[in-house]
Amino acid sequence: MQVGLKVWRFNSRTGERELQEFEIAAPEEATLLDCLDIVKDQHDGTLAYRKSCRMMICGSCGMRMDGAAVLACKMRMYDIAQAGHVPVISAMGNLPIIKDLVVDMDPFWEKFNSVNPYLQPGYDEPADGKENLITQERMNVVHKEALCINCGCCVSECNAMEADPLFTGPQALAKAMRFVGDPRDGQKLARLEKLNGEHGIWECTRCYFCTERCPKGVDPRDAIAKLGAESMKEGIDRDMGAKHAKWFVTSARTTGWLRETELVPKTQGIVTAIKQTRFALDLARKGKVPPPFPPHVAKNVKESRRLHDLVRDQGVNGFAGIVQGEHALARLAHGHGVGDQTLEEIYDRPGAYHRPFIADEEADA
Amino acid sequence: MRAAIEAHDAGANVGVISKLHPTRSHSGAAEGGINAALGNAAEDSPEIHAFDTVKGSDYLGDQDAIEIFTREAPGDIYQLEHWGAFFSRREDGKLAQRPFGAAGSPRTVYAADITGHVLIQVLYEQLVKRDITVYEEYFAWKLVENDGRCQGVISWDLLNGGLKTVGGKTVVLATGGQGRIYRTTTNAYACTGDGAAMALRLGLPLKDMEFMQFHPTTLYPTGILLTEGCRGEGAYLINSEGERFMKRYAPNAMELASRDVVSRSEQTEIDAGRGINGSVMLDMRHLGAERIIERLPGSRELSMTFAGVDPIYDPVPVRPGAHYHMGGVETGNDGETELTGLYAAGEVACVSVHGANRLGGNSLMETITFGRRAGRAAAEWALSNTTIDVPASAEADAERELKALLDVSSGERPWQIRNDLGTSMLENFGVFRREEQMVAQVGIIDEVRERYQRGVIVEDKGEIFNSDLTQAIELGNMIDLAACMLQAGVARKESRGAHARPYDYPTRDDENFMKHSISRWTGDGPELSWKEVRYTKYDPMERKY
Amino acid sequence: MRKVAYYKGCLASLSAKELDSATQALAPKVGLELVELESVTCCGAGDIHEADPDYYLHLNARILSYAAAEGVDTLLTVCNVCTLNLRQANFMLLGDTELRARVNENLVSVGVPAYERDVDVRHLLWEIAEGEGYELLKSAAHKGLKGLKIAPFYGCQILRPSKIQGFEDPDRPWSLERIIEACGGEAIDYPAKIKCCGFPIIQAREETALGELIQPIEQAYEAGADAIVTPCPLCHLSLDAWQSKLKKSTGRDFKMPILHLSQLVGVAAGLEESELKFKRHVVSVKPVLEKLEA
Repeated sequence: MQVGLKVWRFNSRTGERELQEFEIAAPEEATLLDCLDIVKDQHDGTLAYRKSCRMMICGSCGMRMDGAAVLACKMRMYDIAQAGHVPVISAMGNLPIIKDLVVDMDPFWEKFNSVNPYLQPGYDEPADGKENLITQERMNVVHKEALCINCGCCVSECNAMEADPLFTGPQALAKAMRFVGDPRDGQKLARLEKLNGEHGIWECTRCYFCTERCPKGVDPRDAIAKLGAESMKEGIDRDMGAKHAKWFVTSARTTGWLRETELVPKTQGIVTAIKQTRFALDLARKGKVPPPFPPHVAKNVKESRRLHDLVRDQGVNGFAGIVQGEHALARLAHGHGVGDQTLEEIYDRPGAYHRPFIADEEADA
Repeated sequence: MRAAIEAHDAGANVGVISKLHPTRSHSGAAEGGINAALGNAAEDSPEIHAFDTVKGSDYLGDQDAIEIFTREAPGDIYQLEHWGAFFSRREDGKLAQRPFGAAGSPRTVYAADITGHVLIQVLYEQLVKRDITVYEEYFAWKLVENDGRCQGVISWDLLNGGLKTVGGKTVVLATGGQGRIYRTTTNAYACTGDGAAMALRLGLPLKDMEFMQFHPTTLYPTGILLTEGCRGEGAYLINSEGERFMKRYAPNAMELASRDVVSRSEQTEIDAGRGINGSVMLDMRHLGAERIIERLPGSRELSMTFAGVDPIYDPVPVRPGAHYHMGGVETGNDGETELTGLYAAGEVACVSVHGANRLGGNSLMETITFGRRAGRAAAEWALSNTTIDVPASAEADAERELKALLDVSSGERPWQIRNDLGTSMLENFGVFRREEQMVAQVGIIDEVRERYQRGVIVEDKGEIFNSDLTQAIELGNMIDLAACMLQAGVARKESRGAHARPYDYPTRDDENFMKHSISRWTGDGPELSWKEVRYTKYDPMERKY
Repeated sequence: MRKVAYYKGCLASLSAKELDSATQALAPKVGLELVELESVTCCGAGDIHEADPDYYLHLNARILSYAAAEGVDTLLTVCNVCTLNLRQANFMLLGDTELRARVNENLVSVGVPAYERDVDVRHLLWEIAEGEGYELLKSAAHKGLKGLKIAPFYGCQILRPSKIQGFEDPDRPWSLERIIEACGGEAIDYPAKIKCCGFPIIQAREETALGELIQPIEQAYEAGADAIVTPCPLCHLSLDAWQSKLKKSTGRDFKMPILHLSQLVGVAAGLEESELKFKRHVVSVKPVLEKLEA
């Protein structure tokens, strides 16, 4: 098939930047990476990009296609070529570009290192020298976070990091959760304290770009939420973001509806709230600052109060409260309706392949 | 990385040189698992593991090395777990172990089907914890030999440009294999045998070069790996009629026979016209969606992305592909090579643990166990010796050679030579080998080398991220290694393990050929000699599954 | 007329009353009979999901249950965040029978009916972007927008995570543009239309949030937009109420009117100011209204 590509070329030494167009012949199963190989081999050997495994596991080939970060080896080009679309390929965002599609990953690794991304055991090794006994279920708390291949696609698209380059970022935070949730780690509280710092979990803007772009299903936003949940459970909640979140809980179990007006002082403290008075008055004039009295109470709010206390006593809190939904949500990732058929139904589908059998024996079911 | 960690823990000052960021290494693509006789799933022992490995090696493995390997493996696994590796677990909380090819007991410890990924992550974490220096995206090009010792490495700094020399009292090669010699391979682009080539050019012996393992289940058409773990979980191999043909080739082990046996069976079916698009089918439908999603999610994703098939509903087309090279730089049991100060471990080395054929799950274990041993041995030697002396001429010579390469203005672009090499290797030195084809291939490799020496054009003359240059150097490495492989292949007049000559020498010839081939470089081409297999107690038997 | 359960959410009840009044007035014109749910609470936003995730699940299960109790198939929302929260909770319950059983047991024990009959959660945006809602929209928008240039601002959580929301391609959405055009306006394209307004951190990390907020406003302004329309009242709050803060950080006074989706369609459909309540906006909508009168 014929594939057209537009590639942003850039040389950090000379500062030269140019959008170049290529038209190549590629096999139908070609991925974006295969196409770049053809460009480099046969058209322009100076094109720079990283690659290695070509099977979505090494994380080398993160780059942007039409402004959205993807793994080049995962992106099949057939549909794009058929539609006659010529995508624009550029380097990942939020990281300095060294050349063409190669970014400087140092800032990425610095943030990775900053969360102490290694087990800090909190136990004596088992007396018999063998493995720690842990159930699969307990390990699965960090099942998704452990999938991360450090490709940078999430970091590339992080809106908070774009506005503040010092934000720790989705990859490092997901990696942090991988250890906060590991039962063998003994530094959970120290980790959470650090992660509640200025550029930690409460700077996440919840844009969900990281979750959307991640090619491995890590769901960094959920990892960050798990860290928040566990922090709150452990009483680490001094950050404004935590206070903001706590007020929602308080509102839900007292009036049902969010007590908006009190949200500002509850989040930012009285002093800051007073500093915002001018701003608040502007809003108040438009009715955007509803008076807290009389409180706007939802009907049957006592049900909500009872629910709050009931679930608190049942104790599925901290990251466990989020992990409990992962089994169901994973089904969304796998595809709707998957697993609902019996084996017979699968074997009998129109166009299904032969049933397996062993020669000289009765046919297998 | 395992060697670096051990060397660091032994007190040495360590630098890791890697042409990729460490977590990009191809070990991360390993899927199915890592073998150790833990005895969690069933009765097992290092002796049984050793026997399986010796038999799997078709009696070419060095038995003392194998005994050390199987004895130390369990401790190494526990170490990894203590470091935080995320392994799959049994109900009782112990490490889970799944059945794998040619294993007498289920001993393959795993993490769903991303075991390599999990191991790469835990090792990198431990590297970060120790703050070990990494010379990242340094393309290692030449070893420095001086005064009868290996004293360092000259690399091309891929990220910033320029030759960089790192001196070291000892050097450990852990550069992996060279599957990229073949057009259809499970290997990453990076697997071009750079380490083995560097050692080769210093005159060091490479052992058992003719033995390239063809993994039975690589996706059609890309060659991407589908783990043996699929078959470990119960997947069937079926031909174009739906028959589980392994019954006719390995009636007891069926799909879990040794890899070389399965690959040969598949190739026979395909050659007999019972394949589709040169492939057979891996059928997982009967495993059920839940099991596939829980134990083999990676395989499912790979099948869907690269073969367009959902294994829950349809069988996946697979065929043999070049996967693992049993041969490599000859080492002793502590990774020591013939050259003082130079060690090697992992796929680049040949101890030999795997002999003529490797068991699935043994390679990852080898990298850990022998990585550790080599790291410690290298550190201990380094700590008891004080000098490093890298002669200025070493780097000057390299500069000249580099300039010559960049100055080439007429010739071919490397990809044409690379494709011709890869296609011909697959055709003439694949699963089944014939005298005429191998001899012809020797000639083809000579032609290929001539084309390479006449001139390969590196279009990128720049300094930053010049992968055009490094890819040209990689091609040269592969050509030389291929020559060694072919010479040894022609000379081994028997069928053993992965070297299958069903048309001219269909059986094993223990009397004449139960010995290792040794390839040394003479400047023009390779020179072949032989070496005895180290024996402890396992007598060669007929190898049936 | 299709009966749907209507969950207005916190902002539409309080600081963004204009959204509720515009929606209630618009609904019959696009074939929707709204049954307002009263025994409900805040959906929790991302905050309760983070602070007390089990409580979040139960609060939303309660909302879903009361919606189902109305005998309808659809629970209609007018806020991105409510939509994501409710849909996510819904998928958690629909996909895990054990979890659903536990949650239902808890609901029943506090006097809430069990969530047994399934409902689907849909944002008003989805109802009127296609199908019957869209047809009715076209005929209702008789007054038209007279070629007014409108910049659509989607707001993160109506698009992502797409495996939960799933209505349209999260990178190439079309629903707002289609609605704008059906109302006789001209849809403006600009890169930040699918990016974040910064609302979730506008209090805890104001500077970072403003660094995000500037993008859609500045880009829409430079593209010549007369107004921005958004389906999320939280985005609306950022874009409208916090717009003045951009003056301080950038020195520019954009004066960009921000309309709720219901208001945009409502204007085109001839709703009155008493229903649209533009006076409640911080950034004056007068320039838009003047252009429409002209």
